[in-house]
Amino acid sequence: MASEGASGAAIEARQVMFRYGRLRVLDDLSLQVPGGTSFGLLGPNGSGKTTLIRLLVGRLKPHSGSVVVLGEPPSPRLCQQIGYMPQLSALYLELSVQENVSFFARMYGMASGGERREAAQEALNLVGLWERRGDPVLRLSGGMRQRVSLACALVHRPRLLLLDEPTVGLDPELRAAFWGHFNAELARGVTLVISSHTMDDAAHCQRLAFLRDGRIIAEGSPEALRAATGRANATLEDALLHFVRAGGAR
Amino acid sequence: MSPDRALAISERLVRQVLRDHRTLALMLAAPSVVMALVGFSFADQPAILDYAAPALLTVFGFFFTFVLTGVSFLRERAQGTLDRLLATPVGRGDILVGYLLGFLLFAAVQASVILALTLVVLGVSHQGALWEIFAFLMVVVVMGVNLGIFISVFARNEFQVVQFIPLVFAPQVFLSGILLPVEQMPGFLQAVANVLPLKYAVEGMREIMLQGKGLSGVTSELAVLAGFAVVLLALASVTVRRS
Repeated sequence: MASEGASGAAIEARQVMFRYGRLRVLDDLSLQVPGGTSFGLLGPNGSGKTTLIRLLVGRLKPHSGSVVVLGEPPSPRLCQQIGYMPQLSALYLELSVQENVSFFARMYGMASGGERREAAQEALNLVGLWERRGDPVLRLSGGMRQRVSLACALVHRPRLLLLDEPTVGLDPELRAAFWGHFNAELARGVTLVISSHTMDDAAHCQRLAFLRDGRIIAEGSPEALRAATGRANATLEDALLHFVRAGGAR
Repeated sequence: MSPDRALAISERLVRQVLRDHRTLALMLAAPSVVMALVGFSFADQPAILDYAAPALLTVFGFFFTFVLTGVSFLRERAQGTLDRLLATPVGRGDILVGYLLGFLLFAAVQASVILALTLVVLGVSHQGALWEIFAFLMVVVVMGVNLGIFISVFARNEFQVVQFIPLVFAPQVFLSGILLPVEQMPGFLQAVANVLPLKYAVEGMREIMLQGKGLSGVTSELAVLAGFAVVLLALASVTVRRS
């Protein structure tokens, strides 16, 4: 089983460069995510958050630099320990809620029907959708689809969660519920990496990295980032603007 | 390669199509209507219909499977489910075999319906055994599935998949001997026809249906078709991880 690297980091990215054609989406990006913590990737659309998450899950390979996740380079084998929630809900609309979750459980190697049912029930209970398990996803609201998508990422009890804008489009009540689920995962030692462009998500994270144009312009705890502005009542939004205007001092 | 994962993917595909009643109905009705139209238009000329039927069966089997697989795989890419699937420990082989098994089932049903219509309703005569006609058609269909997966990587939406139809099919339909025997074409066109899989598919099916040859009598055509299927599968396998 893969474990955290020698530094105790669940994720280590070193001088990563990735480009689509001539466009550099990530440029000289280095990052360390300590195991068992919640880490927020904050930045505007197009700042490279999704690309970074896709690199971490092994869907993309860096053009230069290195990525180590749970002590080894991303690979299909390592995916067994990663729960990935893409930006799109990415579900099979004709299938029911439970069928979707069970299908992904089977992809994660749960061959026995009983084991899958148990895992699906646990994941769907966690997101509060067990009662709706027979409904086709097609008939669910956007928020419910996000919950099913999260259940698909949790069903195999991963050690690392990579969630790409999981709370986008959710109402405040549902967002709070999602953070309840995330905190429950953190409590059992899971490492959480979440991309977002809302400061509400940022406030829940233990550590944050501000991304802009494929570079990390600031990194630290929310308190440290706020304090760096030099203003007593600074918000995280103020902190982000401060670092953007400062040109990315780290 | 994990047989359980491949099986799970094919089961999921079958469930999806079975719940999409309109697609299911069109899958069976469209080729039947086209075949019936062609058949009834030659009702007074059974000899021509007997000659044309093997080619039409082959082309329709190939065409409808290609479109169905291409659009379905493209949808998997567009909805993000392929991306999510590839972020699990699943292998490319699992996905391809899963798709192949799932669509083979529908292709088998589709082929049975078209065959029944052609042989029973339209009264087309055949010399070869029914099971050998069916088995040969299945080989053609496997090629259609692999080509559909391969082509889907070059299209960003369903509209673009449709644009590939004339590009992929028109040369094959004109040059595979359906309208004019290949031997009567100019030399350079014969050279092109020789690298098109549908030419071998049509020839093989004609030999079975019109000359009563068994599968053992069309081994060279089967070998060429299997070769095309393997090459297309290899190409599909290379492109399946592209996003």
